[in-house]
Amino acid sequence: MRSLLLAVLAAYLIAAIHCILAFMNKRRSVQRVAEWSMALGFIFHTAALIADWAIDGHYPLFTLRETLSFLAWALVAAYTLILYRYRTQALGVFIMPLISVLTFIALITHSGGQDTPATFSATWLFPIHTTLLIFAYAAFFIVFMASVMYLLQERELKLKTFGAIFHRLPSLSTINQLATTSAIFGLTLLTLGIASGMVWSSARDGKIWHNDPKEIFAILTWLLYFTLLLYRSSAKWRGKNAAWLGVLGFALVLCTFFGTRLLGGYHVFGLIQNLNTADFIKKL
Amino acid sequence: MSIVLVGINHKSAPVEVRELLAFSDETCTRELRSLVDGEIVREGLIVSTCNRVEILSATNIDSLEQSTTRIAQFLNRDQRLSPEFLGQHVYSHRDEEAVRHLFRVASSLDSMVVGEPQVLGQVRHAYSLAVQAGTAGRILNRLVHHTFRVAKRVRSETGIAANAVSISYMAVELGKKIFDSLKNHTVLLVGAGEMAELSARHLLNAGATRLLVANRTEESAHRLANDFGGEAIAFDEIDRALAESDVVICSTAAPDFVITEEMTRRAREKRRNRPMCMIDISVPRNIDPSAGKVPNVFVFDIDDLESVISSNIREREREAERAELIVQSEVMQFQQSLRLMDLGPTLGALRQRFQELATAELEKQRKNLGQLTPEQEQAIEQLLTSTVNKLSHPVLNQMRRFYEASDLETMQEIADSFGPEE
Repeated sequence: MRSLLLAVLAAYLIAAIHCILAFMNKRRSVQRVAEWSMALGFIFHTAALIADWAIDGHYPLFTLRETLSFLAWALVAAYTLILYRYRTQALGVFIMPLISVLTFIALITHSGGQDTPATFSATWLFPIHTTLLIFAYAAFFIVFMASVMYLLQERELKLKTFGAIFHRLPSLSTINQLATTSAIFGLTLLTLGIASGMVWSSARDGKIWHNDPKEIFAILTWLLYFTLLLYRSSAKWRGKNAAWLGVLGFALVLCTFFGTRLLGGYHVFGLIQNLNTADFIKKL
Repeated sequence: MSIVLVGINHKSAPVEVRELLAFSDETCTRELRSLVDGEIVREGLIVSTCNRVEILSATNIDSLEQSTTRIAQFLNRDQRLSPEFLGQHVYSHRDEEAVRHLFRVASSLDSMVVGEPQVLGQVRHAYSLAVQAGTAGRILNRLVHHTFRVAKRVRSETGIAANAVSISYMAVELGKKIFDSLKNHTVLLVGAGEMAELSARHLLNAGATRLLVANRTEESAHRLANDFGGEAIAFDEIDRALAESDVVICSTAAPDFVITEEMTRRAREKRRNRPMCMIDISVPRNIDPSAGKVPNVFVFDIDDLESVISSNIREREREAERAELIVQSEVMQFQQSLRLMDLGPTLGALRQRFQELATAELEKQRKNLGQLTPEQEQAIEQLLTSTVNKLSHPVLNQMRRFYEASDLETMQEIADSFGPEE
């Protein structure tokens, strides 16, 4: 499993390096290397996830290692769709290194998946809940990166510096569309993810709300992206302000994703990998 | 055969000299036929544009000096210039240098504005004239087709023609950086000058859907609007029109601001924050520079455009260095293919001679063989052919190797060691 993930990391690293090279020298042949390498990495990665599932016997989205790996996989899938739809190769410069880092962390994180309680893999709501949320996170990553690209390009146009960024980043309208579409996807997935979590929770212990930090952050995130889309559609916050909100929202996403580990609570099981069973039961 | 190129261009000669030597399309065919005599000059082609007059020819290898002089004389037909004067301006290249020169010309590396797209079309046209005249033969056909390939490769593999280098085209480039595509976008021209007209043409070619023209003298607004299928509007309607316009190009002779920050703010309000690109090519400026402070409005004045253009030109020059490398490797490839073209017949002749020797030996022995059945006849022929093939194969390979290493003398020695050619 590790060796397969190592191959995935190698492929993503090659893709990342070639994305950066292609960004600098604008060679199509280099870009092609990046895309093929990414495709190869994606195939390996899919195989690694399936193998994980088969060997450990639970859906591969439980421990921190699995979550990061799955998130990287979801980002590659999202980037592939974006490449197909918007042809914004420049996004690769931001996203491929990030994917490589996520894969690297997943690789060095110890697998603690042995003590997974059966109750989690038994219910079909668990995979749905987590998968929806992982894809929502991936979409918000894209919103963040598109927002950064927007701010860079906008700055370039306002200051009239017309440097490398001006020539290489896509047009404002393309980046804006990308951010809006990703935000719509992200919000929809987040809504469904939260809803499925509530359904699952009420089926388990009759409560839909545990007042735990992760839940609170998730609701805040939901509100923020809802506001973002509302403002965008009413056109009050088109452009720069919306982009800033996209960047800000991402900080909240990071808090939801990682920050709650530090605060503890109901949702912690999914993230702390070396939690022992006794602790786990106590937490429940 | 040798390739010779003689010519003058914008770097070597001023326009007064170039125009004296230029060829018109009508005379070109006739002149070409008079140049190609089938003896010294075997093939010919004339590239005559406003920046260059060049004669490209394939000549007999034994009379190189003679052919170069002949082509130079041909260029300076009817003694239009004194030979000494011409000598100062004309350049001549042979073989590898001539090939490189043609590749560079067609790839637009030798142009006044590096990367301009017209020159390839001009070379294409020159070739079609030579084909019409029947003066493009084995060598030039090969060379010109290779040239087209090189130019295409340079264009697609380098960014030599990527960025705009004219003011009028910058409007398109900036528009595309903001709106991606100009489709379904409206252009407002304020002022109906030549520059505005040129920009409008580029924007419409790039897909802009609607054109509004405002001018102080309404006749010229109407004229321009009619020319491009746009709408003429009154000068005091600009305020209202701004709200509908995505790209604004301003070039009037007005001494003060035609578009103020206040107008821009109002327009942004009505446009519900949709971005807007305003280009001011007038001096003194007609758009208040502080309009650029309005969010989602991008204002560029003439100096901004000039600075992008000079950065684009520098970018093109950097790309040109990469293009030179492509040209260099293609020149080598072409020279190689030309040599292989000569190798074929030499090897074929030697192979033929071996076969003939074998057949002659068979004839000598035929009376000793007596009557043969067709099967036996066939078997003996097969035996001879395969023996000849097996024996000659290493020899021919050896020759090919010397040939590829450009060691033509050794190659010829090997060929000669099997007896002189008949």
